[in-house]
Amino acid sequence: MNRAKNAKLVLWILAGFAAAVALNRYLFGLGVTTNLNDRTPWGFWIGFDVMAGVALAAGGFVTTAVFYIMKREEFHPLVKPAVLTAFLGYVAVVVGLLFDLGLPWNIWHMIIYWNPHSPLFEVGWCVMLYTSVLLLEFSPVPLEEYSRYAKIRNFLMKYRFVLVLLGIMLSTLHQSSLGSLFLIMPERLYPLWYTHILPIEFFISAVALGLMMVAFETLVSHWLYRRDPETVLVGKLCRVAAWVLALYFVVKSFDLGITGKLGLVFNGKWQSDLFIVEIAVSTIIPAVMFAVPRLTRKPVVQWTGSFMVVAGMVLNRIDVGGLAMYDSTASYTPSWMEIAISLGVVSAACLVFLFVLERFNIWEIKPADPESMPQTAPSFDYSSRSWLGTPDAASLARHSLAFVLSFALGMGMMSGKRLHAEGVDSIRVSPATGIDTLCINGNRDDQYVEFSHEGHIAWLRTHAISLTIDGVVHTASPSGGDSCTFCHHLNLPGEKVSNCAECHTSMYSEVDFFRHGWHASAVGANLKCDDCHATGVTRNAASAKKCTACHRGYDFAPGKGAAGPELYIPSYVDAMHKLCVSCHIADLREVSSLSQTNGGILSGKDKSNLAQCASCHRTGVPPELRADMKWQVKLPHYDNVVLPNVGVTVK
Amino acid sequence: MSKAILTDVTKCIGCLKCVSACKEVHHLDADVPRVWDKNDGLSAENWTAIVFKDGRYVRKQCRHCLEPACASVCPVGALHKTSIGAVVYDSSKCLGCRYCMMACPFGIPRYEWDKAVPHVEKCILCYDRIEEGKQPACTEACPTGATIFGERKELLPLVHARIEANPGKYIDKVWGEHEVGGTSVLYLSDIDLGFLTYPTVKGDKPLPQETVTAMESVPFAFVGMGGAMLGLNWIIRRRMKLGEEKAKKKDPAHE
Ligand code: SF4
Ligand code: SF4
Ligand code: SF4
Repeated sequence: MNRAKNAKLVLWILAGFAAAVALNRYLFGLGVTTNLNDRTPWGFWIGFDVMAGVALAAGGFVTTAVFYIMKREEFHPLVKPAVLTAFLGYVAVVVGLLFDLGLPWNIWHMIIYWNPHSPLFEVGWCVMLYTSVLLLEFSPVPLEEYSRYAKIRNFLMKYRFVLVLLGIMLSTLHQSSLGSLFLIMPERLYPLWYTHILPIEFFISAVALGLMMVAFETLVSHWLYRRDPETVLVGKLCRVAAWVLALYFVVKSFDLGITGKLGLVFNGKWQSDLFIVEIAVSTIIPAVMFAVPRLTRKPVVQWTGSFMVVAGMVLNRIDVGGLAMYDSTASYTPSWMEIAISLGVVSAACLVFLFVLERFNIWEIKPADPESMPQTAPSFDYSSRSWLGTPDAASLARHSLAFVLSFALGMGMMSGKRLHAEGVDSIRVSPATGIDTLCINGNRDDQYVEFSHEGHIAWLRTHAISLTIDGVVHTASPSGGDSCTFCHHLNLPGEKVSNCAECHTSMYSEVDFFRHGWHASAVGANLKCDDCHATGVTRNAASAKKCTACHRGYDFAPGKGAAGPELYIPSYVDAMHKLCVSCHIADLREVSSLSQTNGGILSGKDKSNLAQCASCHRTGVPPELRADMKWQVKLPHYDNVVLPNVGVTVK
Repeated sequence: MSKAILTDVTKCIGCLKCVSACKEVHHLDADVPRVWDKNDGLSAENWTAIVFKDGRYVRKQCRHCLEPACASVCPVGALHKTSIGAVVYDSSKCLGCRYCMMACPFGIPRYEWDKAVPHVEKCILCYDRIEEGKQPACTEACPTGATIFGERKELLPLVHARIEANPGKYIDKVWGEHEVGGTSVLYLSDIDLGFLTYPTVKGDKPLPQETVTAMESVPFAFVGMGGAMLGLNWIIRRRMKLGEEKAKKKDPAHE
């Protein structure tokens, strides 16, 4: 019985792990949990949880069709597990969808807002109805245990045929409509998979997959509980599947032939390799194996064949649902969190399946829960007055422990970035290039700013300027000879003009410039608190030593850094905007006074142009068009530009 | 009453006035590049963007297709084309399935990936301003007249006139006149604008029509499958009955 016990433990671990990720997803959104992005808005969850999930649950309608419609009574032992698998499968699909939907609490909107043109609308309705039908189909099994509900049970049993029929009709619709979902995106889906008969192919493959899923699930559950395998029945399933797979193959080949896509199969691209693998694993090899009746009775063939069909068809759904779109979107690989959630949902479904299997009459003889066997030892130790715990409680404790530990592991694995939902790529800045004219292109996106270094030096040589930024006064004057430090406010040891990118190393996020932790850490500077902070007063930046007290080589411009270390310094973008925009925006505010005091170098109109984003960014604006621009004197509306509070005087 | 925007790529100077006007009017937030916009400058906070391509500035925005794929696939009808031509979004209906983003041939709708309550974001052709009798914020802000607003019916002859009046200046094609059934945002250009859509979108067939056949056969498939199953069941039962009767006849003593 250890097999079932160990399997359950693994399932509980996977479920606990997924629960941690689930928490993260609901608190912080999709962006931090998934690798989905604007180019690839559907990913692993749609491909696996929804597309493959629905297809895997096809066993329900196929088995009921064989048993109730075609009256093949010998399949009776497979009906209950198949319906149960289907029901749990659909519940898992819906639960999986609740993770994928951006606004899962609106899922019921499909009931009141209708758009019958949408294949997804149809799939949604069918899944909703079919899940209810499956519940009704299955509920006689648990109801059997409670004589009080006999009436309901009899009613359901009486109309079972109607339910089954309805279930088959609904399944036909949505199994095929899952294919219709992709008809509207010929531009995304690779032509080997895109075809107008995708709905038909989906339906046929769902039938094959349904048969094989029932076979596979029977084999696994019997193996888990060490039952004699249903070799005869599974063999029959395999023989039927051979026909369905053959039909699938013929339809697919014909379609490729008619649409002239056969060449694509063998053109050596990765898509054709993928396609060949998919069709070989899902269809050709199993169909050939099952074509020999003698072989279908061999357990090896049953195991490998059914597993191949299941895996291959799941691959097919994943291909259509996203993998085969990779070329047109090329920007997505699932994150480990997406996979963790999917595994967790499947594990939870399996746990419920095993529970129901042990609790209710699914098989003719119930498999006993290994741990609820009548126990011989007393569960209460009278001498010590302590409760020893029943074996039931032992499994409870073990499962909770597994769940909690893996939950904790999952939480631990989420990086701070993920947890804080920042999602900003830390882009390391590339320094500006050029000598007299600098090309500023920190993130190398080819939208650079040309900056006339020479021109600015020339201007500062002839002007005295005093600029107040965020309350700190900065001055430069030709006589002071300090015009370099007006911009190069902090220079590294031995340098006169350190590059901005030396310290403002990150394009968009703040930089921890001082690194307090490193200074205090034993593996860093290994300083004691008292080495920097005066004793007896509150320890903060103001009461600390100046940086230059130790770092003598650093050259802090007056008013910068000298007052104490700035712990965090702005991102490169913010620093540059602060540097450029603060002067030029001041120009804008004091257009009239500037044009009077400027000695006619630049007119007020031209100066105000410099406060427009496009006058610096995207330097390709042709000069003749520049003259045409009818600028309004208005601040550019870019909220992420940190515009400092500036006052300026120019002498 | 179908309005449209015409963007003349040759006239655009890339000043981003349209972008900032759009941000201002629609109260869009700060736009920091994030891991999930791997694209062209459009984002949940940027409904229009300037793409720098072959020395030209090309303004990108929702095309307001005459037969929008996004609206046809939305399961709850959260997107729809209004009579003035704008394709608008109703966030109170949306489920967040993102099918619209998958279906749009121009890759336009964006998602608020960083929010716990995310919505779809895209240009709405300033339909509220149009209803007030104003023009969209972006066309109003454009300093060079590169992007202008008007009736689609009146803009189209104007574009063709512009092409004829400047022989050799433009590629003789109006982007948006016919592709995917026509769009309410038209382009005039001297460079190929094929890059605005997926390379494989070809022809003038509106995308929603790809699904029509499949969707129209839904009721037939439903009833047909039901009928087929009932028929099959009837035949099998009858055969079983006949078989039983035969067996009985052969061996009446068996009873
Ligand atoms: S461009 Fe895309 S988002 Fe805009 S209307 Fe067309 S399909 Fe919809
Ligand atoms: S994401 Fe919202 S608007 Fe887009 S298709 Fe889904 S429900 Fe409709
Ligand atoms: S039409 Fe309105 S919403 Fe669309 S880009 Fe222009 S300003 Fe923005």
